[in-house]
Amino acid sequence: MNKQKLFRASKYGFLILISFCSLFPLFWMFVAATNTSVDVLGGTLIPGFNLKENFNVLTSNTNFYRAMWNSFKYAAVTTLASLLVSSLAGYGFEIYHDRGKDMLMKILLLSLMVPFAVIMVPLYMFFGNLGLLNTTAGFALPTVSTAFLIFLFRQSSRNFPHEVIEASRLDGLTEIGIFFRMFIPIMRSTYAAAAVITFMNAWNNYLWPLIIMQKDSAKTMPLLISNLTAGYTTDYGVLMLAVGISILPTLVLFLALQKNFAEGVTGSAK
Amino acid sequence: MNKKLTVLFFMVLMVAGFTTMTFAQEETTITVWCWDPNFNIYAMEEAAAIYGDLNPDVNIDIKEVAWEDLQTQLSTSLSANQTDNLPDIILMQDTALAKNVNSFPNAFYDLSDSGIEFDNFANFKVELTKVDGKNYAVPFDNGAAINAMRVDVLEEAGYTIEDFTDISWEEFIEKGADVKEKTGKPLLSAIAGQSDLLMIMMQSTGNWFFDQNGEPNIADNEPLKEIIRVYQELLEKEILVQINDWNQYISTFQSGTVAGTMNGAWIIGSIVPVEEQAGDWRITNLPRLANIEGSSNYSNQGGSSWMVMANSEKPEVAADFLDKTFGGSKELYEIILPSSGAIATYLPAGDSEVYNMPHPFFGDQKIYTEIIDYAANVPEVDYGIYNYEARDTISTAITQIMSGQDIQSALDEAQSTLEFQMW
Amino acid sequence: MFNSTIEKLKAFKRGYSVNRKHKMIGWFFVIPGALLIFSFYFYPIIRAFLLSMQGGVGNNLRFAGAANYQRLFADTLFKKSLFNVFVYLILQVPIMLTLALILAGILNDKTLKFRSFFRTAIFVPCATSLVSYAIIFRSMFALDGFVNTVLMNLNLMAEPINWLGGPWTARLLIVIGLTWRWTGYNMIFYLAGLQNIDPAIYEAAKIDGASAFDRLTKITIPMLKPIILLTTIMSTNGTLQIFDETKNLTNGGPANSTLSVSQYIYRLSFEYVPRFGYAAAVAFVVFIIVAILSFFQMKVGDER
Repeated sequence: MNKQKLFRASKYGFLILISFCSLFPLFWMFVAATNTSVDVLGGTLIPGFNLKENFNVLTSNTNFYRAMWNSFKYAAVTTLASLLVSSLAGYGFEIYHDRGKDMLMKILLLSLMVPFAVIMVPLYMFFGNLGLLNTTAGFALPTVSTAFLIFLFRQSSRNFPHEVIEASRLDGLTEIGIFFRMFIPIMRSTYAAAAVITFMNAWNNYLWPLIIMQKDSAKTMPLLISNLTAGYTTDYGVLMLAVGISILPTLVLFLALQKNFAEGVTGSAK
Repeated sequence: MNKKLTVLFFMVLMVAGFTTMTFAQEETTITVWCWDPNFNIYAMEEAAAIYGDLNPDVNIDIKEVAWEDLQTQLSTSLSANQTDNLPDIILMQDTALAKNVNSFPNAFYDLSDSGIEFDNFANFKVELTKVDGKNYAVPFDNGAAINAMRVDVLEEAGYTIEDFTDISWEEFIEKGADVKEKTGKPLLSAIAGQSDLLMIMMQSTGNWFFDQNGEPNIADNEPLKEIIRVYQELLEKEILVQINDWNQYISTFQSGTVAGTMNGAWIIGSIVPVEEQAGDWRITNLPRLANIEGSSNYSNQGGSSWMVMANSEKPEVAADFLDKTFGGSKELYEIILPSSGAIATYLPAGDSEVYNMPHPFFGDQKIYTEIIDYAANVPEVDYGIYNYEARDTISTAITQIMSGQDIQSALDEAQSTLEFQMW
Repeated sequence: MFNSTIEKLKAFKRGYSVNRKHKMIGWFFVIPGALLIFSFYFYPIIRAFLLSMQGGVGNNLRFAGAANYQRLFADTLFKKSLFNVFVYLILQVPIMLTLALILAGILNDKTLKFRSFFRTAIFVPCATSLVSYAIIFRSMFALDGFVNTVLMNLNLMAEPINWLGGPWTARLLIVIGLTWRWTGYNMIFYLAGLQNIDPAIYEAAKIDGASAFDRLTKITIPMLKPIILLTTIMSTNGTLQIFDETKNLTNGGPANSTLSVSQYIYRLSFEYVPRFGYAAAVAFVVFIIVAILSFFQMKVGDER
């Protein structure tokens, strides 16, 4: 019994240590957001009184609300579209797998392996010819279907109980019906994890919006943050505040969805 | 089904977009890409206001883009031959100007015959904006190098700012070592593995890293070797401390652990926020390398200029805009100086009253006229097309030398690396 | 005893067949996704490959055959950057994935308190923009920074370490940065994967007297194998293409000892005199290396 207690205590110790390492730089960042630039560079760890001032500078010098809204809009559209398209494909690859589809999956995986910087120019030309520059569709399309998400859903489908499929077929559900009525609810945990990751990636996407969105009004948060460091003098308090705020949407989504991918799904088909 | 609808929807949107654009043709809109709201963007806005009085039909539309992002967008659009989205005017780092003009011929508008009086700008700056004898840009901000020092610290050691004016590096080292001994404070800080300070010293000698034919000149570059020797001595005598990044660099003089700094005049923007140090700072010119022929007390670091894109629908209008504002309006420079500290390389501005105003942070020194004077004396060098490659190879060589490699072998290596990159 | 659990597991994975009609229907599921990837990845990749056969700078390009690929062999910077990314790969990926797996295992324990807090804390670094975190990291690892102070107060060393100054300490810093940022990211996939495992299997194993270690190696890892394969491929790929960390934390220094291949590609395209053809050739070599590595990983990890 004592041994078990010790084991448990060491578990908590380990978790606390890891959480401290994870949170310390972020704590520093939020403290920095409340200080003046000079104090930030001095390395202060004491919260200051400059938060309001930093926020005023941020909202008056930049198109802050606009950038937040743009980022949110693009990230939300991308997430919804890519969850649907990618999970459909991932499900198809696993549940109906045969040699042809396994082969195709392997080919699709190759798409992960080319640095974006290299396909950027050809992709830009392509989108220019399609007339999709400066559009939400232009922003979202390259990330709607990613081999990564397809692969994630394919791998997760491997644990999807096939009895469910057989039973549903006997009940007269169509194949697409099984996907929507059975697979999506049961695989909530995978969907939740995928939603968080996709949203975050779209939110932080940098290079593609940079070149496809040429209008000032289409600026996203990562570009706004990049602009904050571009001058001869950088206001580090404002910069830290902007970065701190830009984490929040992903964080909120994570908090909202984490029960789904971490707490187990009650009433699943087990 | 839905997909079709979306495509249709976007097509409609696009058509709508195009038609509104054609209706708006009555007025000319000149779009500008530049960075830094407190500096370039502010200056551009003021220029737009001035031009608005002269030519109300022209709209100036400014988009904020960080320099690195601007270069990425520029290179992508030009190499994809999709120039529709490029603006009419861009701000260009002087260090990258020749590279871009050479890499993308016909992408930039030749301003030689635009009527802009280039003689009114500091010579070294005009030289940087010229490629093959053609003027490609209107010089803008002043990167003339200053030696900014804390006179309260100097005083403690028994020196004044005059003791550091018009001197050689030998004298600087001698006095700097004395200041360090008496006050415990170094006079300079530099980022390890970055060659900015060396570049400043290099330009003060009127030399660069390429010979007349544009071939790399590193292995047998005597001024460079002398500079490395000086740099090493500064480090050994602890007159110069090395830190690891830009933020720490700013912090060294803001927090007062270092009693001075040498950089382009724009560094003033990072000096003045520290209110406790008001009145303690002065600026002066740089030490010169006495052993190098033609060496001066003046140099340059950073700076940028306005270019007109050749794909612009109305390049003449864009050029005229620049001519009437940055190219010839003393008024503009007088407006932007006090609130942004954006010092021009437009020499006539130096005579104006605003430029003669004493600056309280610098103990009422007339720093702006001083800087304009420095600018007029900066030696001309041609940064060349392969400037960034040179910068990185020199930085690498310096790092290797500082960790113990022999100077000649490190420079030989740098020479062959650079030759490879230019091959 | 314990074997009965394994049997149950196998039975659960086996036992269904796919008929012709369903295989046909399956294609409709995968085609939209596949089509998008073909048009927005493979088509540009082919264009990029053609570009890699073009020599010259900026827009003055002309056909050069394999000249760019030959150039690679003489390029010391390319070799150095390739060496660096392999250092990151070998050091970082196993550490990070093991750590993520352990954390997921601990956090999957339903009786653990503050689970939600720990999960969030470990996840949140990957949502952070590197721009600010690099400033904080460099300041923490400065000569007189937080990390050196702590290490010296704990008497773990006598002299402060110049982390960013030495080639190996700088590389280590990149590895630490990568692990800090991406462990939580990978942990999420493991956590999600664990939810799809029937808790009854664990219960049965416990009754059979399997130890915690046995449960990890005999149930958790085999059940998570598909997801472990996924994260391994993703991390391998991500590390070989690492860009943000090296650009923001060390900018490739000191003396290029942390320069990554992607950063080199970026320099070739946007900082140096642009050599788009050569940059594409560099990328293609990375592409082939990653493809080969992933192929082996698939071979080992993807049997049904």
